[in-house]
Amino acid sequence: MTDMKKLPAQPAQHRWPFWLGWAAVIVLIVWSFTGMPSFELKENAVVVAKSMLNGLIHPDWSYVWTGDGEDLTHALLETLGIAFLGTFISAIISLPFAFWAAHTKNKFWLTSRSGKFVLTAIRTFPEIVMALMFIKAVGPGSFAGVLAVGFHSVGMLAKLFSEAIENMDNGAGESVTAAGGTRLDVTILASLPQLLPEFVSNTLYRFELAIRSASILGMVGAGGVGTPLIFAIQTRSWSRVGIILIGIIIMVTAVDWLSGALRKRLV
Amino acid sequence: MSEPKPVIEFDHVNKIYDNGVVGLKDINLTIMPGEFVVVVGLSGAGKSTLMRAVNRLHDISNGDIRIDGESITKARGKQLLHIRRKIGMIFQNFNLVRRATVLKNVLTGRVGYYPTWKMMFGLFSEADKQRAYEALQTVELEDKVYTRADQLSGGQQQRVSIARALTQAPRIILADEPIASLDPQTTKRVMDDLRRINQEMGITVLINLHNVELAQEYGTRIVGIRAGEKVFDGPVKEADDATMAQIYSGEEEG
Repeated sequence: MTDMKKLPAQPAQHRWPFWLGWAAVIVLIVWSFTGMPSFELKENAVVVAKSMLNGLIHPDWSYVWTGDGEDLTHALLETLGIAFLGTFISAIISLPFAFWAAHTKNKFWLTSRSGKFVLTAIRTFPEIVMALMFIKAVGPGSFAGVLAVGFHSVGMLAKLFSEAIENMDNGAGESVTAAGGTRLDVTILASLPQLLPEFVSNTLYRFELAIRSASILGMVGAGGVGTPLIFAIQTRSWSRVGIILIGIIIMVTAVDWLSGALRKRLV
Repeated sequence: MSEPKPVIEFDHVNKIYDNGVVGLKDINLTIMPGEFVVVVGLSGAGKSTLMRAVNRLHDISNGDIRIDGESITKARGKQLLHIRRKIGMIFQNFNLVRRATVLKNVLTGRVGYYPTWKMMFGLFSEADKQRAYEALQTVELEDKVYTRADQLSGGQQQRVSIARALTQAPRIILADEPIASLDPQTTKRVMDDLRRINQEMGITVLINLHNVELAQEYGTRIVGIRAGEKVFDGPVKEADDATMAQIYSGEEEG
């Protein structure tokens, strides 16, 4: 074994990009601090923080159900509805976009490139911006929320779908062709069965994200639990804020768990 | 008994790819019903191109290919689909829908007998389901009928794809390197199945193989391809080691 060669030293690398990167980060941090207004506490900050904390640990349980349709349960259900409908609509709209943007064989490169660009453009707009625009178009309320969630989701869902299409194995389709099937037969018997679980799984994942965004869309007036939340914050009724936050946490956790369990079964 | 007619005929077939590479060079080949023809040659010699030309998964540049006397080269639309129905195909990578059940995969072989709208709702007849089940019995996988394809081993998946080809009720089975990704035991199993189908059902088998010993063991006739040209065509007995060495000589390739 003594004849074995000694491990040679790792070839020297230029270290300066590493140090330059760190220098840039430090400069940025210092520069951001100089732009901040001087740090000062308001006189009543401690009092406010105390009452906030007190409210949060004493949530207003009576708000959970009042029966008049203005309670937490209804607001949460509305949020669920916005997220569900928005995701559902976007899943359908996403399909043609996905086939447009998917880069597959025998396809002109500009076609899929332009499709991808459109999807990126859609994704660029945050949901809150979309919600504000749709409120101007259709008026405040949950419909604007559905449109905002739905429109924004298309950008991400269609991208995920198109990646599923690109990664699909074409072998099964070839066997359908060889057996005398038409192109449509190939899609029905080979492509869709392979893609469908992935489509559903992506849609469920997107639904998890939509629940979170639907919870805050109400803050700009697009329906859902965000509306009572922003009212409660503005009127400083912290015990109500507390119960709303608890409600959101329970809903999001439940949806994540349910959709996670479903997605696991699909794959 | 009337004179048997050839089931596959290659008539001066040429294939030149778009990038100028010659795939097939002036191939003439006549295959009679019931033959077990093994195509041998180096990788890239054009074996796969030859197989895929038969059912026109690849178009040829010129020449004519006839199946049962009917030109598949000139066939259009429905006519092409009807000729393809007569040709079952088995692939190196099995080409199953992995998430679907074995039964669904086998039924896919019947696709050429149905209008597309029926496929949309999965409307296969009971008779065809029975036919699929019988094909599975031929390859002894009937107990896996409702199992998902991806739960099976490689050898089992390949036998499912044989059952799929059988369900098609084909005159010909094309097997494109069917055992390239299988171990020796499963290889023997798959090859035995193909031989049984050939001998008991009289289905013509056209298969391409890498393995010379298997070619000599199972084939009734060997076709050697080198650089897109047919360099040997004869019964297995005539394909001695020298002939094989000549087919597999690489220097003239490319």
